[in-house]
Amino acid sequence: MSERFSSATGRRLVSRASAEELGELTHIVVDVARRQVTALVAGKGRKAVLVDWDQVSGFGPDAVMVTDESALHPPRDDHESAAADGKLDLVGKRVLSDMGEDLGETSDVVFEPASGAVETLVVGARELPATSVLGAGSYAVVVKAPAD
Amino acid sequence: MRLLVTGSAIRGLPVVTIGGGEDVAEVRDLIYDPEAGRVVGLTLNKRGFLSGRRREVLPARAIHAIGRDAVMIDDEESLILPQDAPDEVGAPPSGRDVTGNEVLTEQGKSLGKVKDVVVLVGSDGEVVGYEIETGSGGIGYIPLPTQLAVSGSALVVPDPTQDFVEADLVGLGAAVDEFRSRLGMG
Repeated sequence: MSERFSSATGRRLVSRASAEELGELTHIVVDVARRQVTALVAGKGRKAVLVDWDQVSGFGPDAVMVTDESALHPPRDDHESAAADGKLDLVGKRVLSDMGEDLGETSDVVFEPASGAVETLVVGARELPATSVLGAGSYAVVVKAPAD
Repeated sequence: MRLLVTGSAIRGLPVVTIGGGEDVAEVRDLIYDPEAGRVVGLTLNKRGFLSGRRREVLPARAIHAIGRDAVMIDDEESLILPQDAPDEVGAPPSGRDVTGNEVLTEQGKSLGKVKDVVVLVGSDGEVVGYEIETGSGGIGYIPLPTQLAVSGSALVVPDPTQDFVEADLVGLGAAVDEFRSRLGMG
């Protein structure tokens, strides 16, 4: 079953080892080139911590299970700091086609919670396959121009 | 039907890398070669409010597409110093500005004066027409043949051009192909 970033955000992160609640999912970090979720962010501001995707043992409908509390770590580099601040979020980002046309903003992202594979970008009325994404940065997500 | 944009609408557009999604510069001006009938490159400003000129230029061959909302390039390496660019881009000959030139048909009829170039959206700088100020003071759009005579003060266009003076860019976009087929340009 595919999931949307909009419905996953806000979900509890729970330690599988201790059953302790570890925080609330605030951002989902994506490697655009690999079309893959690479990390999750829990909490906000200076308290924001990341958990790498390979430490997520189950992305369930009611809770995101993390192997252990020790898997949570503060940002380790500039990229992770930006991710923890939500600056790399795909949702809300301007989408440009490679023909230089502004297609609108990403309103949601559809992904496969078992694998973390990113499937679709929702941009206005369009659903763009993740395979059409050519790059993403602070200014825009660039996609191959849709056929229409 | 083709999507078109005027040169003035291209000025100020962000220059965005396809692989990186970063706005690395913005368009300062077009470097236009009137004999070739195409934009050969762009001069650049730094991105952001009042941030000034960038020394680098963007040769047309490194442009992936000039769009309505952005100029797309592969990566920032596409921006090069003028001395590393071809002369037509890095040190273009003077007197190439066609703005204000009179447009004359082969039969000697004046269609107006050039205000701006009209560029094909999605191209790397293909100029398909001119925006002109007509004798009556109105704005018109004319299609451009691939070859035409340019003197520095006037340019000569084929006679059929006078039948293709369009009131807007949508009209010109619809007329370009018909105009070209009528001139046998395919």
